[in-house]
Amino acid sequence: MSTLADRYVWGVLRAVPERQRADLEPEIRALIADAVEAREASSLGDASAPGDAASAGDAAPGDAAAVERAVLTELGDPELLAARYTDRSLYLVGPSYYLDYRRLLGLLLTIVVPIVTLATMFAGFIAGISITQVALNGVYAGLSVGVQLAFWVTLVFALVEGRGTRKAAPLMAWSPDRLPSVPSSSRLGAGEAVVSVLASVFVIGVIVWQPPFYIDGRTVPFFDPALAGSWLAWFLVVAVVEIGFTIAAYAARRWTWTFAVINAILAAAFAIPAVWLLQAGRVVSPEAVAEMERIGAGAALAPTAAVAAMAIVVIAGWDALDGFLKARRTAGGR
Amino acid sequence: MADMDFDEILTGAQGELRRGTLVPACLLLLRRPGYGYALIAELHELGFNVDANTLYPLLRRLEGQGMLASEWNTEESRPRKFYRTSPDGERLAAELLADWTRIDRSIRSIEMGDPT
Repeated sequence: MSTLADRYVWGVLRAVPERQRADLEPEIRALIADAVEAREASSLGDASAPGDAASAGDAAPGDAAAVERAVLTELGDPELLAARYTDRSLYLVGPSYYLDYRRLLGLLLTIVVPIVTLATMFAGFIAGISITQVALNGVYAGLSVGVQLAFWVTLVFALVEGRGTRKAAPLMAWSPDRLPSVPSSSRLGAGEAVVSVLASVFVIGVIVWQPPFYIDGRTVPFFDPALAGSWLAWFLVVAVVEIGFTIAAYAARRWTWTFAVINAILAAAFAIPAVWLLQAGRVVSPEAVAEMERIGAGAALAPTAAVAAMAIVVIAGWDALDGFLKARRTAGGR
Repeated sequence: MADMDFDEILTGAQGELRRGTLVPACLLLLRRPGYGYALIAELHELGFNVDANTLYPLLRRLEGQGMLASEWNTEESRPRKFYRTSPDGERLAAELLADWTRIDRSIRSIEMGDPT
């Protein structure tokens, strides 16, 4: 059976390159032997030996196993000792590359994850699967690609770090040109408020007016009459609340987390039922669908609904996200 | 500020101040050949609190840089690796000592209120 010391020596050696082992082994053995000797001397009362501040007093003289154990405990993790011997870094991505790593990862995630999520949802809309399934697929695809990106980028940087020279320069030299621009305003701008109110007025107008659908010389209602009582009223309410909210937020002169949350809820209150109804084919009146099919344009219905659903998801999603970004800028001490 | 905090800050600042002094201390002590554990004992007596798992790799690094020469001594009960400061190591120690003197002079002059 191998002693603890043998196992410790092996623990160090296996973590250093093969060609250094023969050279290092006697050195570590001598180190352990000397430390054991010093500790035995100190436990006999020779206070001048190093390491006597630790728990040497517990070991009765001659209790070799306990002394050995105490010495190895003080020497610490053999892999740590090996890393010190070989000047190996004990991190995946160190200070010279960390900022490049974080920027690249952030950039990739903010570009690729939304694109993949939206593209997956778009494919789902085209295929006409249920709205829940579309949302789940989108989230799953976004998460998967995010995890993959994080893994591969980290792996590449860890490899570069592991092989890097001692004085590694950042991948991209920094200059003052790369300074971020100061965010101009953290309140709801007048332009944004006007656009938001106009959009809500437009929604109200379309619902109230109930646009007729002229096709091939005939006129049919565009919206499904079955919507009239329940869902159209819901969208009407949401649009009116949105106008009130926009005016209140503009008047408050300061965008807050509360505003961001209300903003996101309103966006969801519009987008989720709208996409669901579109996907269920309950928006356009059966007469209008029949007319489209009569003139041979029936095949365009599903893709058009998919594009419309996608547009709603993108606009509502961006609206909600922008609200939170704005709140973060405000909270960022400005 | 609580005393506890001050002690912590002091320990941290002292650690940073002393970190670099280990190399000249070793180079000067090893003008007389010595092995790792004896060096640790000497350093402890001189007030340098250094652990074996720091000093041994440091000695090996200095040897790799040519600042120390080493030799296995097999005359005693156990083989031990003895280090000795090389001529290059002497030069390094001299440079570091000169630097030490300059820093000391600068700090003193600042303390005296004559920072020139």
